[in-house]
Amino acid sequence: MTTLLLTHPVCIAHEPPLGHPERPDRLRAVNAVLNHEVFSALEREEAPPGRRDDVVRAHEDRYVEMIEKSSPEEGREPLDADTWMDPASLEAAYACVGAGTRGVDAVMGAEFDNVFCAVRPPGHHAERNRAMGFCLFNSAAIAALYARAHHGAERIAVVDFDVHHGNGTQDIFWSDRDLFYGSTHQMPLYPGTGAPSETGVGNICNAPLRPGDGGREFREALRGRILPALKDFHPDLVIVSAGFDAHRDDPLGGLELDEADFAWATLHLMEAADRHCGGRLVSLLEGGYDLKGLAGSVAVHVQALMRGTGEVTSPHIDDEVSDGE
Amino acid sequence: MGNETDDQAIAQLSFEAALAELESIVERLEQGKVDLEESIAIYERGEKLKKHCEQLLKSAEARIEKITLKGDGTPSGTEPLDVE
Repeated sequence: MTTLLLTHPVCIAHEPPLGHPERPDRLRAVNAVLNHEVFSALEREEAPPGRRDDVVRAHEDRYVEMIEKSSPEEGREPLDADTWMDPASLEAAYACVGAGTRGVDAVMGAEFDNVFCAVRPPGHHAERNRAMGFCLFNSAAIAALYARAHHGAERIAVVDFDVHHGNGTQDIFWSDRDLFYGSTHQMPLYPGTGAPSETGVGNICNAPLRPGDGGREFREALRGRILPALKDFHPDLVIVSAGFDAHRDDPLGGLELDEADFAWATLHLMEAADRHCGGRLVSLLEGGYDLKGLAGSVAVHVQALMRGTGEVTSPHIDDEVSDGE
Repeated sequence: MGNETDDQAIAQLSFEAALAELESIVERLEQGKVDLEESIAIYERGEKLKKHCEQLLKSAEARIEKITLKGDGTPSGTEPLDVE
Protein backbone atom coordinates (compact mmCIF):
# COMPACT_ATOMS: atom_id res chain seq x y z
CA MET A 1 0.00 0.00 0.00
CA THR A 2 1.18 3.46 -0.72
CA THR A 3 0.29 7.10 -1.29
CA LEU A 4 -1.86 8.27 -4.19
CA LEU A 5 -1.36 11.67 -5.84
CA LEU A 6 -4.36 13.12 -7.64
CA THR A 7 -4.28 16.17 -9.86
CA HIS A 8 -5.74 17.46 -13.14
CA PRO A 9 -4.38 19.83 -15.83
CA VAL A 10 -7.59 21.90 -15.74
CA CYS A 11 -6.61 22.98 -12.22
CA ILE A 12 -3.76 24.90 -13.87
CA ALA A 13 -6.05 26.34 -16.55
CA HIS A 14 -8.24 28.16 -13.97
CA GLU A 15 -6.78 31.67 -14.05
CA PRO A 16 -7.89 34.62 -11.88
CA PRO A 17 -6.78 38.09 -13.09
CA LEU A 18 -3.08 38.89 -13.44
CA GLY A 19 -1.52 39.70 -10.09
CA HIS A 20 -3.96 37.49 -8.15
CA PRO A 21 -2.04 35.40 -5.59
CA GLU A 22 -4.07 32.24 -6.28
CA ARG A 23 -2.42 31.70 -9.65
CA PRO A 24 -1.65 28.77 -11.97
CA ASP A 25 2.09 28.93 -11.12
CA ARG A 26 1.21 27.60 -7.65
CA LEU A 27 0.23 24.24 -9.06
CA ARG A 28 3.06 24.30 -11.62
CA ALA A 29 5.52 24.67 -8.71
CA VAL A 30 3.81 21.84 -6.78
CA ASN A 31 3.88 19.57 -9.84
CA ALA A 32 7.55 20.38 -10.47
CA VAL A 33 8.60 19.45 -6.96
CA LEU A 34 6.49 16.28 -6.94
CA ASN A 35 8.34 15.14 -10.07
CA HIS A 36 11.53 14.90 -8.02
CA GLU A 37 12.94 11.39 -7.73
CA VAL A 38 12.16 11.14 -4.00
CA PHE A 39 8.53 10.83 -5.08
CA SER A 40 9.11 7.91 -7.45
CA ALA A 41 7.05 5.59 -5.21
CA LEU A 42 3.96 7.82 -5.50
CA GLU A 43 1.07 6.42 -7.50
CA ARG A 44 -0.37 9.10 -9.77
CA GLU A 45 -3.83 9.45 -11.23
CA GLU A 46 -5.72 12.16 -13.02
CA ALA A 47 -8.62 13.32 -10.86
CA PRO A 48 -11.97 12.25 -12.32
CA PRO A 49 -14.65 14.92 -12.83
CA GLY A 50 -16.63 15.52 -9.65
CA ARG A 51 -20.35 14.78 -9.63
CA ARG A 52 -23.03 17.37 -9.02
CA ASP A 53 -24.87 14.89 -6.78
CA ASP A 54 -21.87 14.89 -4.46
CA VAL A 55 -21.59 18.69 -4.43
CA VAL A 56 -25.20 19.22 -3.33
CA ARG A 57 -24.62 17.36 -0.06
CA ALA A 58 -22.50 20.32 1.05
CA HIS A 59 -23.99 23.18 -0.98
CA GLU A 60 -27.59 24.05 -1.71
CA ASP A 61 -28.86 23.26 -5.16
CA ARG A 62 -29.55 26.93 -5.94
CA TYR A 63 -25.94 27.79 -5.01
CA VAL A 64 -24.55 25.17 -7.38
CA GLU A 65 -26.88 26.53 -10.04
CA MET A 66 -25.59 30.06 -9.41
CA ILE A 67 -21.98 28.87 -9.77
CA GLU A 68 -22.82 27.01 -12.98
CA LYS A 69 -24.60 30.05 -14.40
CA SER A 70 -21.70 32.33 -13.47
CA SER A 71 -19.28 30.28 -15.55
CA PRO A 72 -18.35 32.61 -18.44
CA GLU A 73 -17.81 31.44 -22.01
CA GLU A 74 -15.03 33.97 -22.28
CA GLY A 75 -13.37 36.55 -20.07
CA ARG A 76 -13.80 36.54 -16.31
CA GLU A 77 -16.72 36.81 -13.96
CA PRO A 78 -16.21 38.08 -10.38
CA LEU A 79 -18.19 36.34 -7.60
CA ASP A 80 -16.77 38.70 -4.99
CA ALA A 81 -13.73 40.99 -4.80
CA ASP A 82 -11.35 37.99 -4.49
CA THR A 83 -13.15 35.17 -6.22
CA TRP A 84 -13.23 34.84 -9.98
CA MET A 85 -14.45 32.45 -12.61
CA ASP A 86 -13.05 32.07 -16.11
CA PRO A 87 -14.06 29.50 -18.75
CA ALA A 88 -11.92 26.78 -17.04
CA SER A 89 -12.93 27.50 -13.45
CA LEU A 90 -16.09 25.38 -13.24
CA GLU A 91 -14.34 22.31 -14.63
CA ALA A 92 -11.39 22.98 -12.28
CA ALA A 93 -13.72 23.23 -9.27
CA TYR A 94 -15.36 19.96 -10.30
CA ALA A 95 -11.91 18.35 -10.70
CA CYS A 96 -11.16 19.35 -7.08
CA VAL A 97 -14.41 17.67 -6.03
CA GLY A 98 -13.54 14.57 -8.08
CA ALA A 99 -10.08 14.42 -6.53
CA GLY A 100 -11.58 14.49 -3.05
CA THR A 101 -14.19 11.80 -3.73
CA ARG A 102 -11.73 9.57 -5.62
CA GLY A 103 -9.35 10.04 -2.68
CA VAL A 104 -12.07 8.90 -0.29
CA ASP A 105 -12.77 5.83 -2.48
CA ALA A 106 -9.04 5.04 -2.52
CA VAL A 107 -8.59 5.00 1.26
CA MET A 108 -12.01 3.64 2.24
CA GLY A 109 -11.57 0.80 -0.27
CA ALA A 110 -8.07 0.16 1.14
CA GLU A 111 -6.45 0.65 -2.28
CA PHE A 112 -4.07 3.24 -0.83
CA ASP A 113 -2.91 4.24 2.65
CA ASN A 114 -3.47 7.91 2.06
CA VAL A 115 -3.95 10.49 -0.68
CA PHE A 116 -2.74 13.96 -1.60
CA CYS A 117 -4.87 16.05 -3.96
CA ALA A 118 -2.76 18.68 -5.73
CA VAL A 119 -5.63 20.83 -6.87
CA ARG A 120 -6.86 24.40 -7.16
CA PRO A 121 -8.96 26.50 -6.68
CA PRO A 122 -8.99 25.93 -2.92
CA GLY A 123 -12.28 25.17 -1.17
CA HIS A 124 -12.36 25.78 2.57
CA HIS A 125 -13.86 29.31 2.44
CA ALA A 126 -16.84 28.20 0.31
CA GLU A 127 -19.87 28.16 2.58
CA ARG A 128 -23.07 26.26 1.96
CA ASN A 129 -24.47 29.24 0.02
CA ARG A 130 -21.57 31.56 -0.60
CA ALA A 131 -18.43 31.62 -2.76
CA MET A 132 -15.59 33.60 -1.24
CA GLY A 133 -11.85 33.72 -0.62
CA PHE A 134 -10.88 32.21 -4.03
CA CYS A 135 -13.14 29.19 -3.29
CA LEU A 136 -16.09 27.84 -5.31
CA PHE A 137 -16.88 24.35 -4.00
CA ASN A 138 -15.83 23.14 -0.57
CA SER A 139 -14.03 19.99 -1.70
CA ALA A 140 -13.03 18.87 1.83
CA ALA A 141 -16.61 19.06 3.13
CA ILE A 142 -17.91 17.41 -0.03
CA ALA A 143 -15.39 14.57 0.41
CA ALA A 144 -16.46 14.13 4.05
CA LEU A 145 -20.15 13.90 3.18
CA TYR A 146 -19.35 11.57 0.29
CA ALA A 147 -17.50 9.22 2.67
CA ARG A 148 -20.63 9.07 4.80
CA ALA A 149 -23.03 8.54 1.90
CA HIS A 150 -20.97 6.05 -0.10
CA HIS A 151 -18.76 4.25 2.38
CA GLY A 152 -20.73 4.24 5.60
CA ALA A 153 -18.13 6.31 7.44
CA GLU A 154 -19.96 7.50 10.53
CA ARG A 155 -17.56 10.06 11.92
CA ILE A 156 -15.44 12.20 9.65
CA ALA A 157 -12.88 14.80 10.72
CA VAL A 158 -11.44 17.67 8.74
CA VAL A 159 -8.28 19.20 10.17
CA ASP A 160 -7.22 22.48 8.57
CA PHE A 161 -3.80 24.11 9.06
CA ASP A 162 -4.18 26.79 6.39
CA VAL A 163 -3.26 30.24 7.77
CA HIS A 164 -6.86 31.34 7.14
CA HIS A 165 -9.80 29.94 9.04
CA GLY A 166 -11.94 27.56 6.99
CA ASN A 167 -15.21 29.38 7.59
CA GLY A 168 -16.88 27.39 4.81
CA THR A 169 -16.11 23.98 6.30
CA GLN A 170 -17.15 25.25 9.71
CA ASP A 171 -20.42 26.57 8.24
CA ILE A 172 -21.24 23.26 6.52
CA PHE A 173 -20.30 21.14 9.57
CA TRP A 174 -21.76 23.51 12.20
CA SER A 175 -24.70 21.50 13.53
CA ASP A 176 -23.63 17.92 12.74
CA ARG A 177 -22.14 16.04 15.67
CA ASP A 178 -20.69 13.35 13.43
CA LEU A 179 -18.54 15.81 11.51
CA PHE A 180 -15.52 17.37 13.23
CA TYR A 181 -13.72 20.51 12.12
CA GLY A 182 -10.43 21.45 13.79
CA SER A 183 -8.41 24.44 12.66
CA THR A 184 -5.22 26.30 13.43
CA HIS A 185 -5.12 29.69 11.76
CA GLN A 186 -3.95 33.23 12.27
CA MET A 187 -6.35 35.59 14.02
CA PRO A 188 -7.05 38.38 13.33
CA LEU A 189 -6.96 37.67 9.62
CA TYR A 190 -9.35 37.00 6.73
CA PRO A 191 -12.13 35.80 6.94
CA GLY A 192 -12.52 36.92 10.57
CA THR A 193 -14.11 33.73 11.92
CA GLY A 194 -12.39 30.99 13.93
CA ALA A 195 -12.56 32.16 17.55
CA PRO A 196 -12.28 29.41 20.19
CA SER A 197 -15.84 30.28 21.27
CA GLU A 198 -17.18 29.05 17.89
CA THR A 199 -17.81 25.43 18.82
CA GLY A 200 -20.87 24.35 16.79
CA VAL A 201 -22.52 21.50 18.65
CA GLY A 202 -19.22 20.64 20.32
CA ASN A 203 -17.82 19.42 16.98
CA ILE A 204 -15.77 22.49 16.08
CA CYS A 205 -12.34 23.13 17.59
CA ASN A 206 -10.70 26.43 16.70
CA ALA A 207 -7.16 27.07 17.89
CA PRO A 208 -6.23 30.53 16.57
CA LEU A 209 -2.65 31.77 16.55
CA ARG A 210 -1.43 35.34 16.85
CA PRO A 211 0.40 37.20 14.10
CA GLY A 212 4.10 36.39 14.42
CA ASP A 213 3.53 33.01 16.08
CA GLY A 214 5.83 30.26 14.87
CA GLY A 215 6.42 26.53 15.07
CA ARG A 216 6.37 26.36 18.85
CA GLU A 217 2.91 27.92 19.17
CA PHE A 218 1.61 25.99 16.16
CA ARG A 219 2.76 22.65 17.59
CA GLU A 220 1.34 23.55 21.00
CA ALA A 221 -2.03 24.37 19.42
CA LEU A 222 -2.09 21.06 17.58
CA ARG A 223 -0.78 19.00 20.48
CA GLY A 224 -2.83 20.76 23.15
CA ARG A 225 -6.12 21.47 21.34
CA ILE A 226 -6.66 19.88 17.96
CA LEU A 227 -5.15 16.42 18.42
CA PRO A 228 -6.87 15.72 21.78
CA ALA A 229 -10.22 16.85 20.31
CA LEU A 230 -9.59 14.64 17.29
CA LYS A 231 -8.78 11.73 19.60
CA ASP A 232 -12.01 12.23 21.55
CA PHE A 233 -13.96 12.32 18.29
CA HIS A 234 -12.74 8.85 17.13
CA PRO A 235 -12.86 9.55 13.39
CA ASP A 236 -13.45 6.86 10.75
CA LEU A 237 -11.61 9.05 8.24
CA VAL A 238 -9.29 12.06 8.53
CA ILE A 239 -9.40 14.72 5.82
CA VAL A 240 -6.73 17.42 5.86
CA SER A 241 -7.27 20.91 4.46
CA ALA A 242 -3.61 21.38 3.70
CA GLY A 243 -2.89 25.06 3.22
CA PHE A 244 0.75 26.10 3.33
CA ASP A 245 0.27 29.86 3.69
CA ALA A 246 1.28 29.74 7.37
CA HIS A 247 4.80 29.41 5.94
CA ARG A 248 7.08 32.24 7.08
CA ASP A 249 7.64 33.45 3.50
CA ASP A 250 3.97 33.61 2.57
CA PRO A 251 2.77 37.05 1.45
CA LEU A 252 -0.82 36.60 2.74
CA GLY A 253 -0.12 35.26 6.23
CA GLY A 254 1.82 36.49 9.25
CA LEU A 255 2.83 33.18 10.84
CA GLU A 256 6.38 31.87 10.90
CA LEU A 257 6.12 28.16 10.14
CA ASP A 258 8.72 26.26 8.16
CA GLU A 259 8.90 22.92 6.36
CA ALA A 260 9.76 21.03 9.56
CA ASP A 261 6.53 22.25 11.18
CA PHE A 262 4.43 21.01 8.27
CA ALA A 263 6.22 17.63 8.34
CA TRP A 264 5.64 17.41 12.10
CA ALA A 265 1.95 18.26 11.75
CA THR A 266 1.52 15.72 8.96
CA LEU A 267 3.18 12.92 10.94
CA HIS A 268 1.04 13.66 13.98
CA LEU A 269 -2.18 13.70 11.95
CA MET A 270 -1.11 10.39 10.41
CA GLU A 271 -0.47 8.99 13.85
CA ALA A 272 -4.00 10.01 14.89
CA ALA A 273 -5.37 8.38 11.72
CA ASP A 274 -3.33 5.24 12.49
CA ARG A 275 -4.81 5.03 15.95
CA HIS A 276 -8.41 5.56 15.00
CA CYS A 277 -9.04 4.57 11.43
CA GLY A 278 -6.31 2.40 10.00
CA GLY A 279 -4.35 5.43 8.77
CA ARG A 280 -7.09 6.53 6.34
CA LEU A 281 -6.25 10.12 5.44
CA VAL A 282 -7.06 12.30 2.43
CA SER A 283 -5.23 15.62 2.13
CA LEU A 284 -6.41 18.42 -0.15
CA LEU A 285 -4.33 21.42 -1.10
CA GLU A 286 -5.82 24.72 0.05
CA GLY A 287 -3.70 27.91 0.18
CA GLY A 288 0.03 28.69 -0.04
CA TYR A 289 1.09 31.70 -2.11
CA ASP A 290 4.88 31.85 -1.94
CA LEU A 291 5.95 29.46 -4.70
CA LYS A 292 9.10 28.32 -2.95
CA GLY A 293 7.45 28.02 0.47
CA LEU A 294 4.50 26.21 -1.07
CA ALA A 295 6.53 23.72 -3.12
CA GLY A 296 8.96 23.02 -0.26
CA SER A 297 6.12 22.49 2.20
CA VAL A 298 4.10 20.26 -0.12
CA ALA A 299 7.29 18.24 -0.65
CA VAL A 300 7.73 17.44 3.05
CA HIS A 301 3.97 16.94 3.54
CA VAL A 302 3.81 14.32 0.79
CA GLN A 303 7.03 12.63 1.91
CA ALA A 304 5.57 12.33 5.38
CA LEU A 305 2.40 10.81 3.88
CA MET A 306 4.68 8.31 2.11
CA ARG A 307 6.20 7.66 5.55
CA GLY A 308 9.51 9.03 4.40
CA THR A 309 11.68 8.30 1.45
CA GLY A 310 14.33 6.03 2.89
CA GLU A 311 14.34 2.51 4.22
CA VAL A 312 12.41 2.51 7.44
CA THR A 313 14.49 0.69 9.99
CA SER A 314 13.03 -0.04 13.37
CA PRO A 315 14.76 -1.36 16.48
CA HIS A 316 14.42 -5.11 16.79
CA ILE A 317 11.30 -5.74 18.71
CA ASP A 318 10.45 -8.36 16.08
CA ASP A 319 10.49 -11.97 17.08
CA GLU A 320 10.42 -11.30 20.79
CA VAL A 321 6.92 -12.65 21.07
CA SER A 322 7.44 -15.68 18.88
CA ASP A 323 10.70 -16.48 20.67
CA GLY A 324 8.79 -16.64 23.87
CA GLU A 325 6.20 -19.10 22.68
CA MET B 1 -9.33 -12.43 18.57
CA GLY B 2 -11.32 -9.60 17.05
CA ASN B 3 -12.22 -8.03 20.37
CA GLU B 4 -12.99 -4.53 19.22
CA THR B 5 -12.79 -2.84 22.61
CA ASP B 6 -9.47 -4.51 23.21
CA ASP B 7 -8.16 -3.43 19.80
CA GLN B 8 -9.27 0.13 20.40
CA ALA B 9 -7.62 0.15 23.81
CA ILE B 10 -4.34 -0.98 22.23
CA ALA B 11 -4.62 1.71 19.58
CA GLN B 12 -4.78 4.33 22.35
CA LEU B 13 -1.60 3.14 24.08
CA SER B 14 1.55 5.20 23.91
CA PHE B 15 4.63 3.52 22.49
CA GLU B 16 6.17 3.24 25.95
CA ALA B 17 3.06 1.69 27.51
CA ALA B 18 2.61 -0.77 24.66
CA LEU B 19 6.27 -1.81 24.76
CA ALA B 20 6.19 -2.25 28.55
CA GLU B 21 3.14 -4.51 28.30
CA LEU B 22 4.73 -6.43 25.44
CA GLU B 23 7.84 -7.01 27.51
CA SER B 24 5.82 -8.29 30.44
CA ILE B 25 4.00 -10.72 28.12
CA VAL B 26 7.32 -11.99 26.75
CA GLU B 27 8.60 -12.44 30.28
CA ARG B 28 5.52 -14.39 31.37
CA LEU B 29 5.68 -16.63 28.33
CA GLU B 30 9.39 -17.24 28.82
CA GLN B 31 8.87 -18.22 32.43
CA GLY B 32 6.35 -20.82 31.30
CA LYS B 33 4.05 -20.15 34.26
CA VAL B 34 0.89 -19.56 32.25
CA ASP B 35 -1.42 -22.36 31.15
CA LEU B 36 -1.95 -23.14 27.49
CA GLU B 37 -5.26 -21.29 27.08
CA GLU B 38 -4.00 -18.13 28.67
CA SER B 39 -0.71 -18.30 26.84
CA ILE B 40 -2.60 -18.28 23.53
CA ALA B 41 -4.66 -15.29 24.62
CA ILE B 42 -1.70 -13.25 25.79
CA TYR B 43 0.32 -14.29 22.74
CA GLU B 44 -2.42 -12.85 20.54
CA ARG B 45 -2.45 -9.66 22.56
CA GLY B 46 1.33 -9.52 22.25
CA GLU B 47 1.07 -9.74 18.47
CA LYS B 48 -1.33 -6.78 18.44
CA LEU B 49 0.90 -4.77 20.75
CA LYS B 50 3.88 -5.51 18.54
CA LYS B 51 1.99 -4.34 15.46
CA HIS B 52 0.95 -1.15 17.25
CA CYS B 53 4.54 -0.42 18.33
CA GLU B 54 5.82 -0.99 14.80
CA GLN B 55 3.21 1.36 13.38
CA LEU B 56 4.17 4.13 15.82
CA LEU B 57 7.85 3.67 15.06
CA LYS B 58 7.19 3.79 11.36
CA SER B 59 5.53 7.19 11.67
CA ALA B 60 8.18 8.51 14.03
CA GLU B 61 11.06 7.43 11.84
CA ALA B 62 9.95 8.67 8.48
CA ARG B 63 13.07 10.05 6.84
CA ILE B 64 12.21 13.26 5.10
CA GLU B 65 14.37 15.19 2.70
CA LYS B 66 14.03 18.92 2.39
CA ILE B 67 14.09 19.62 -1.30
CA THR B 68 16.06 22.76 -1.98
CA LEU B 69 14.34 24.98 -4.47
CA LYS B 70 15.19 27.72 -6.88
CA GLY B 71 13.37 31.06 -6.62
CA ASP B 72 10.58 29.91 -8.95
CA GLY B 73 9.94 26.85 -6.80
CA THR B 74 11.61 24.30 -9.07
CA PRO B 75 13.79 21.72 -7.27
CA SER B 76 17.58 21.95 -7.25
CA GLY B 77 18.74 19.38 -4.64
CA THR B 78 17.97 17.74 -1.30
CA GLU B 79 19.11 17.91 2.31
CA PRO B 80 17.87 15.93 5.34
CA LEU B 81 15.08 17.60 7.31
CA ASP B 82 15.12 17.58 11.10
CA VAL B 83 11.44 17.45 11.97
CA GLU B 84 11.89 17.82 15.75
